[in-house]
Amino acid sequence: MTGENKKVLVEIRDLDVRYQTRLGPVSAVDDVSFDIFQGEILGLVGESGCGKSTMGKALMRLLPPTTEIRGKVIFDGADVLTFNEDQIRDFRGRRISMIFQDPMTSLNPVQRIDEHLVETIQVHEPEIKKPAALDRIRGLVERLGIQKERIEDYPHQLSGGMRQRVMISLGLVLNPSLIIADEATTSLDVIVEAKFLDELREIIDEFGVSILVITHNIALVAELADRIAVMYAGRIAELGSIYHVFDNPVHPYTKGLLQSVPSIKLDEREVLYKMPGEPPNLTHPPSGCRFHPRCPEVMPICSNHMPSLLHVTSEQMVNCWLYQDHPEKDRPTIEVAT
Amino acid sequence: MNDQINEKPRSDGTLVEVRDLKKHFPVQAGLLERLMAKRIEYVRAVDGVSFVIHKGEVLGLAGESGSGKTTTGKLVIRLEEPTEGSVKFDGIDLQTLGDEEMRRLRRRMQVIFQDPMASLNPRMTIGQAVGHPLQIHFPEQAGSHREMIYEILDKVGLSPPQFFIDKYAHQISGGQRQRVVIARALVTQPDLVLADEPIAMADVSVRALLLDLMIQLKNEFNLTYLFITHDLATAKYICDRIGIMYLGKLSEVAELREVYSHPLHPYTQALLAAVPVPNPHKRRTQPMPVGEIPDAIHPPSGCRFHPRCPIVRLDHCPKVEPELRELRPGHFVACHYAEQFL
Amino acid sequence: MTSTQETSVEAPRWQEDLDQVGFVRRLFLARRWYGADWWFVAIGLALLVFIFSMAFFPGFYAPYDPREEVGPGLLAPGEPIPSFVLVGRVGGATMLDDLIGDDVRIGIVIGSQASSVFREVSETRQAELRAQGQDVTLRPRPQRYDTLEEALDSVSAGEIPTAIELRSEIEPLLENYLDLEMGETLSGAIQKPFILGTNQIGQDMLSRVIWGTRIALLVAFSAAIFALLVGVPLGLIAGFWSGRLERVLTLVMDSLYSFPGLILAIAIAAVLGPGIMNVILAIATLYVPTYYRITRGQTLTVKQSLYVEAARSLGAKPVSILLRYILPNVIPSLVVIFSVNVADAILTEAGLAFIGLGLPPDVPDWGIDLASGQDYLRQAWWLVTFPGVMVTVVTLAFSMLGESLSEILNPRLSEL
Repeated sequence: MTGENKKVLVEIRDLDVRYQTRLGPVSAVDDVSFDIFQGEILGLVGESGCGKSTMGKALMRLLPPTTEIRGKVIFDGADVLTFNEDQIRDFRGRRISMIFQDPMTSLNPVQRIDEHLVETIQVHEPEIKKPAALDRIRGLVERLGIQKERIEDYPHQLSGGMRQRVMISLGLVLNPSLIIADEATTSLDVIVEAKFLDELREIIDEFGVSILVITHNIALVAELADRIAVMYAGRIAELGSIYHVFDNPVHPYTKGLLQSVPSIKLDEREVLYKMPGEPPNLTHPPSGCRFHPRCPEVMPICSNHMPSLLHVTSEQMVNCWLYQDHPEKDRPTIEVAT
Repeated sequence: MNDQINEKPRSDGTLVEVRDLKKHFPVQAGLLERLMAKRIEYVRAVDGVSFVIHKGEVLGLAGESGSGKTTTGKLVIRLEEPTEGSVKFDGIDLQTLGDEEMRRLRRRMQVIFQDPMASLNPRMTIGQAVGHPLQIHFPEQAGSHREMIYEILDKVGLSPPQFFIDKYAHQISGGQRQRVVIARALVTQPDLVLADEPIAMADVSVRALLLDLMIQLKNEFNLTYLFITHDLATAKYICDRIGIMYLGKLSEVAELREVYSHPLHPYTQALLAAVPVPNPHKRRTQPMPVGEIPDAIHPPSGCRFHPRCPIVRLDHCPKVEPELRELRPGHFVACHYAEQFL
Repeated sequence: MTSTQETSVEAPRWQEDLDQVGFVRRLFLARRWYGADWWFVAIGLALLVFIFSMAFFPGFYAPYDPREEVGPGLLAPGEPIPSFVLVGRVGGATMLDDLIGDDVRIGIVIGSQASSVFREVSETRQAELRAQGQDVTLRPRPQRYDTLEEALDSVSAGEIPTAIELRSEIEPLLENYLDLEMGETLSGAIQKPFILGTNQIGQDMLSRVIWGTRIALLVAFSAAIFALLVGVPLGLIAGFWSGRLERVLTLVMDSLYSFPGLILAIAIAAVLGPGIMNVILAIATLYVPTYYRITRGQTLTVKQSLYVEAARSLGAKPVSILLRYILPNVIPSLVVIFSVNVADAILTEAGLAFIGLGLPPDVPDWGIDLASGQDYLRQAWWLVTFPGVMVTVVTLAFSMLGESLSEILNPRLSEL
């Protein structure tokens, strides 16, 4: 989708994630399908409650067992959702790994850094002895800018940025094909975050790994990603190359969202768009298209039927009735120029 | 050590005057250390800050973690006691006030906190929460409190107010909660509002609404804001002037557009460059300063930024701490060699 | 920089809809949410209602006066009252009416339940006859003998006309007394069966257990409330205003707290002497440190919250902050403590009574019953079991109620 013919790494088809809450069933992820290509950075953005975090966890099968998950997640020919315990354990960390938001709570406070890394290796390759594991770690750790002496420290002895680097190294130590970064920079200062982004770019160049960046920070995705997927209330509203989506957003939600993101540039976006309403409560989602109560271009059909995610150009997919045909529509379908 | 404070008052004069403000927190010593009579160390959260806030303006205080911006804000409204230095509110030196007088003065200086859920008493209804400041400061008007509460709830956009009055904080959404916090802060018609990262916890699409609301209310009630934030992009939409803080000191202060277009301090330059821009055509190419923010217990000698500064002169910068100097009209920078960027 | 766009926020439809749901309906919805907790509250509440009604109207439930020796001793639950039979000389006084007259004697073995049964039956008979218009006296005086043989000897020798004893006792001996025969069978006709049996002195266990509720609840509740009224304010003050006084107070409280509970109660009760008030005081003192510690801890925690800082920033007075911001957020933890406390106090009170401290001995009390029943554990299990079960049930009821109530009272849990 970015000009090259990239290989597909993960195929997600008809993914549904549902769980029970006090007020009834919640459909956190609803009928989501998309691909992740090799070597790309895909940004998954949305507001709180849109389902992006759930999506990331679903890919790693990190959701509690009481969650109902349906659909397919095909990785290297096999459907991850059908894996048994052993396959999943092998899969996690080795094929797909995750970097979490708060390194302080994601790292074991009573385990040294090197112990963290060695343990990760030994869980997957039990025959490797500690000295061999340490060798593998050293190179990686230095590349990431962690000084040799520091790997014997405990997490609380390191600064925030260092800890985040430890998290990255944990994510990379087994050479996965995909790293999921779930709000990985939300707790970081902006300069540390900027350095983190630089590192991520280097990692991709060197290791060829794909990264799924899950965040509510749209500016971050603009800095980093090749493609962007915008989620709203459990569904993907728009998906496409970063340049196309930012230059020419088609979904009304994407348009509004992009217009409401502050920009530090003085010559850009003098006024912020104020989107009316609030993200819906998923126990009582609106009927039809979930965005329709807030949509400036709503049509009668929008409250009755749910649209699907379809290609509107070769580089963009949209989930909106404006761009799809339906017998009940009273307005003509919009064609998008490529 | 008298930093040059400020110049020509903008609108109606100075509301707050801060001089050489310092706040040092003692570090909790462990038992062993106490036994060995080790000298107490201090976290120098705020280490000599001076500025003024003009009536009717929005002054932003920006910085990363450890910069001391939140503590400075609390010192200005005396939620913390300064270790050194003075704060004058409308000419009144806050040190000279007793407990009761200070309490009464609070009617004129209110706070909007960052986390609306945590700053509302979970066992108070919204009506009670918003009405409490009225009970404290206008007890004699008890009869009209209800009206005043309805009015302010309506003003912050929570309508119909009757619906919200009996609700508890957890029964409404995040954006609505923050509006309640704003309502509570404004119900006594204060002069100064300390806004401590007021929209950081709100949803992205709601932030713009909240910012707009704050600006509207500022104009309607003639408020003055001290706006604490780490988000420089957001600051652009509300702040008139902005001060950048680093490790307890002000490194640059000027009108916002001036700072953003002509940043003179190397730290400010790095900070502005680091902020991600929501435009994939304008990705950052500038390198970031090396190292990380040092701890505030042992700040670097001389200029605090010197270990990371790209233009550092090692014969001077680590030895002498720079003062805020006016390098352009109304534009103050604490750097020995900032002239090169003029 | 400003825009003229509408910034007001309407309450979303779904919030208004949910609001329309009435309180009762929400309670039923709660059943779906809380599951076990709701049932716990219901069961606990039902039990407590029952228990309290027993405590307030013991007379309504209890068939007998708990202090009265109304039946034969050590009667098992539901066991039929054994029959007593009159024994007289062949052809002599073997019926009850034969004993009408003045200065009549009846032979009774010392310690036998026959005396109470006989007294009851003869009084009833006398009343009957008098009601019929006959002015008679049916009041034989008991002539006590150490053993049944001595009594029978006496009857044989003509010293007394009749003796009365259990049929099962007399029958085997009659072989040796060919001149004696059994006559009328007397049993406590008016007696209702003893559902829970009787204790060694013939008191009805059911009545004792029911009347015991009153004392248990009175003592336990009073002690818990007293402890709360002392401990909570002290804890609040200590948590809010730390200082030298607070440190001394905490030291005292911690020392009290570290004492093994029952021993402390014993010590205090022994010092104060007998009497209900003193028992209550002893037990209350035991629990004051608990309330103090919990309250102080919670106060310290809540004091750190952002909303307390917000209250300070509003200009609220310290006392106002304490009462409106801190106390309401401390109370939920106290509710649980209180109910568990009452449960514990019942146990402590039973323990004290067990040792003989506090209550005067004739007061019907579970602890006293437990104590005296120990000796008969082998023969009469019901002496200990039923008071024990009552203690358990009441403790359980309070605990269930307390734990689940704290869950439900927490407003956060009615989150949408």
